[in-house]
Amino acid sequence: MMFKKTILILFIVAGCFYTCTKDEFEGPSIEALYGEFKILDSLKLTNSNPNFSLEENVGFYCKFNKDVNWKITIRGNTSNSIKELSGFSNTIDSTTITWTGNTSEMPFFLKEKCEIELTFDNEKDTLVDSLTIAGTKIYDGILVADFENGTPENSIVFKQSSMNMTFETASDNPLVGDNYFKMGGRMGWNEWLLGQIDIPLNLSDVSSTPENFYLNLGILSGVNGELASDQYINILISESNSPFNGDLTNNGADVFKDTMEVYKYQIRPVDWIGWQYIAVSYDEFEVKSAGGDNIRNPKNIKAIRIQCQSCPSASGNCPSNASIDVRTDIDYVIFTENEKLLDQE
Amino acid sequence: MKNSRTKILFVYLLIGGQYFQLMAQQNDKVWFDGFSRSFFARDAINDKILPDSVSARNASDGYNLLDLNTHVNPSKNLEIFSQIRIKNQFGSFFGSGTSIDVRQLRAKGVINNKIRFSLGDIFLKQTRFTLFNYDEDLSGYENNMFKPYRDILHYENFYRENRWRMQGLQTDFSFKFDRYIRTLEFDAFITRPRGSSPLSFNTSSSDLLLSGGTMVSQLNKSLTVESHYINFFEIPSSGTTNISIRNPVYHIGIRKYYTNKKSIFESKIETGFSERYWLHSERENNAADSISNFTQGMFLEFKNDFMRKDSSLEVTFGYRYVDPNFRSAGAQTRRLNFEASNSPTIYPYYSNAQIIRPISVFDLLSDENLYNQDLHGNLMIFNPIYSNVLPYGDATPNRHGFYLKSRFKQKVINGKLNTGAFQEVIGQGTAEKRNFTLLKAVVKLNMHELFKLKKEASIFLASENEYTRRTTDAISSVNLYSHQLTAFGNLELVDKLFIQFSFKQLYAKGNEFLNQRADYGVINNFILTNYNLNDHIISGGILYNINKNVYANVQYNWWGKTFNDSSNSNFNYNRLLFILSVKL
Repeated sequence: MMFKKTILILFIVAGCFYTCTKDEFEGPSIEALYGEFKILDSLKLTNSNPNFSLEENVGFYCKFNKDVNWKITIRGNTSNSIKELSGFSNTIDSTTITWTGNTSEMPFFLKEKCEIELTFDNEKDTLVDSLTIAGTKIYDGILVADFENGTPENSIVFKQSSMNMTFETASDNPLVGDNYFKMGGRMGWNEWLLGQIDIPLNLSDVSSTPENFYLNLGILSGVNGELASDQYINILISESNSPFNGDLTNNGADVFKDTMEVYKYQIRPVDWIGWQYIAVSYDEFEVKSAGGDNIRNPKNIKAIRIQCQSCPSASGNCPSNASIDVRTDIDYVIFTENEKLLDQE
Repeated sequence: MKNSRTKILFVYLLIGGQYFQLMAQQNDKVWFDGFSRSFFARDAINDKILPDSVSARNASDGYNLLDLNTHVNPSKNLEIFSQIRIKNQFGSFFGSGTSIDVRQLRAKGVINNKIRFSLGDIFLKQTRFTLFNYDEDLSGYENNMFKPYRDILHYENFYRENRWRMQGLQTDFSFKFDRYIRTLEFDAFITRPRGSSPLSFNTSSSDLLLSGGTMVSQLNKSLTVESHYINFFEIPSSGTTNISIRNPVYHIGIRKYYTNKKSIFESKIETGFSERYWLHSERENNAADSISNFTQGMFLEFKNDFMRKDSSLEVTFGYRYVDPNFRSAGAQTRRLNFEASNSPTIYPYYSNAQIIRPISVFDLLSDENLYNQDLHGNLMIFNPIYSNVLPYGDATPNRHGFYLKSRFKQKVINGKLNTGAFQEVIGQGTAEKRNFTLLKAVVKLNMHELFKLKKEASIFLASENEYTRRTTDAISSVNLYSHQLTAFGNLELVDKLFIQFSFKQLYAKGNEFLNQRADYGVINNFILTNYNLNDHIISGGILYNINKNVYANVQYNWWGKTFNDSSNSNFNYNRLLFILSVKL
């Protein structure tokens, strides 16, 4: 009798606890780790005709059976601009994976048709779609020069009197818009500076700190696929309150004199073929001349100088530069606050 | 130099003494006992299958050691105990390989004839769910051939009766009553399993403490109630890390006895729960303390024991449920440490490619360095071919099921049976749950009783089977079978001199997903592993039991591992072993 009671209790207890077993599981899904990759829901776009100028965006959705590294590539058919979005998940969520019309690689997107490609690491599957941009994105920033209407007002251009000097706007290969500014040539004597452009500025409305204040510019180099040795761009920023160009006898603006408060940054070397878009925060600029308090303050910026320099062939250090033109062309020079231009969503 | 010679002389005098039966020196206040062992092993490569011209063809090692226990009784109720180890490695010269260490130190006594206490090195055990040092894998059905090996493992790692060796304070006292309840017993302890230690130049780990208490009350002749509490925790202020573990476990049990003329029947139900979390203290900007990775889990066991009063038969059956989140550092810490950094001592590398040698059954038996003496706050790694059903003993989380154990003892034959059918409470990596089947049986046949021989002759056979299965889609299915077969023969040639032979084989085939856990014990990956291997030990030897405290053993072992359908290389080794063990 006692034995039967014990057995009965045993099974009642076991029965009660059997219901405690759980239907979910712990740890990552084995199916996701070891299973064959499958696309459960195909690629969908929330907007196939976005007008980014009205702050519309495009959401992307897709669902797979396991976590994978995925990448969405959007390529403009006309501009050849590229935007890439990537992640590691089993779902591309259209509420979080969105495109606001910005670019990962210059130039900017135009009003154009774009091809969209969704690819996966170590999987051969590729999903494609397309959209048409009805309006391009408007970036936040303080435009210094886009060279669409020539050089900026009151700017001063200086160039050495040597061979093939190109310090002027051109339209044969712009990064943005229709024009850009060519800076290049070939030095015939022992001189590093080929030429420069000085642009006056008024940034009194800026409130950013130097760490959050960025100079963005596109730089084109390489002529016929060739690069001059040690060619670079020298950027000077002046916070001097002196008149921009009071003395007309010299070759540039007065605010960059050695006695003025001037900061310097070098993009050196410029050793790539084609366009690259560079962003530098103002705190990365070093003191060139101690003419002020040496405290970088974006709202005190009065002028910018962009110089083209290279190692001269005549010095004997770079003899190959005797037969090649320097080229450090620029386009779309713009200051941005809080983030770099290409990081703007 | 003079000092060194004195030391050597002292060592030789002590070691030489082991060949005589030391009489414990006793007087009123000081008395001695201890243990002595001479050990010699010669290992050799048996590379008929796999060429290995890089490793040494053979290597020998050995030592003499004496653990001298000094008991000092300054008063009737107080004892100071110390264990001094003197060890001399063979091949050392003029004391260069001799070490003298304090191995244990303890004071114990009784205060006012009422409260007992121990301070220093103490050996603690509570219940199987709160504090319990479970036997190592593949050790439950061992035969006498490997007893010398097993004795060394347990002795060197302080494994005594499933207790954990700690350093701290323990006290107990009890009351007897003449009405309502019969007895009330209390036991409490606080220990420090790990002290603060440097992690880098300017950082150090925190002190790790283990405290607990027990209360047992016999309510009447047949009913006992017990309750236990244990807490495994760190003190962040003792180190530079501000994240500290907390793992309290609460336990309650009720035991009921029934007896008749021939039998005892006992039912016990025990249950409890654990909490585990990490406390973040001393945070930046005076932020309040917070906790992370909080988990809570419970367990329940209903166990029934039937036992004949003459001990000829014992049967235990029951049901056990252990929640996936039940965590008890004191009960779930494993003896065997399978961390990748813990490689075997004998021939750690093998073959001409000098690859790391996988651990084998012989290593589990003979390598004391694979074993662990420290409690762990997270679940330790285990190898499913050695133990997959209950790798953390009865406290293995994420299991529920029935079990049946039996033990019988007759003159001619005696044996043990251990069976169980368990299932996961929650699936791992898939909603489907693993099912586990356990069947272990051992029989010892006393031939001398059967044939009325004067000298002892016996045969021992053990079969241990574990079967794990998860029937689901092809990707996440699991099907793992492991079987250990042991045969042992023991024949007494002349008085107390035995000739022995043993064969042990482990066979494992199938697949399993090994859990990988992150810092806070959360599973973050599964490694699919396929098994198809044979592990073997063949042994022959002579045992001479000089008396119950002294034995000498010479044995030769052929051991190795064979991988089928695998890129791993097989290996085979031999060992000659001599042990002289003297309990003083």
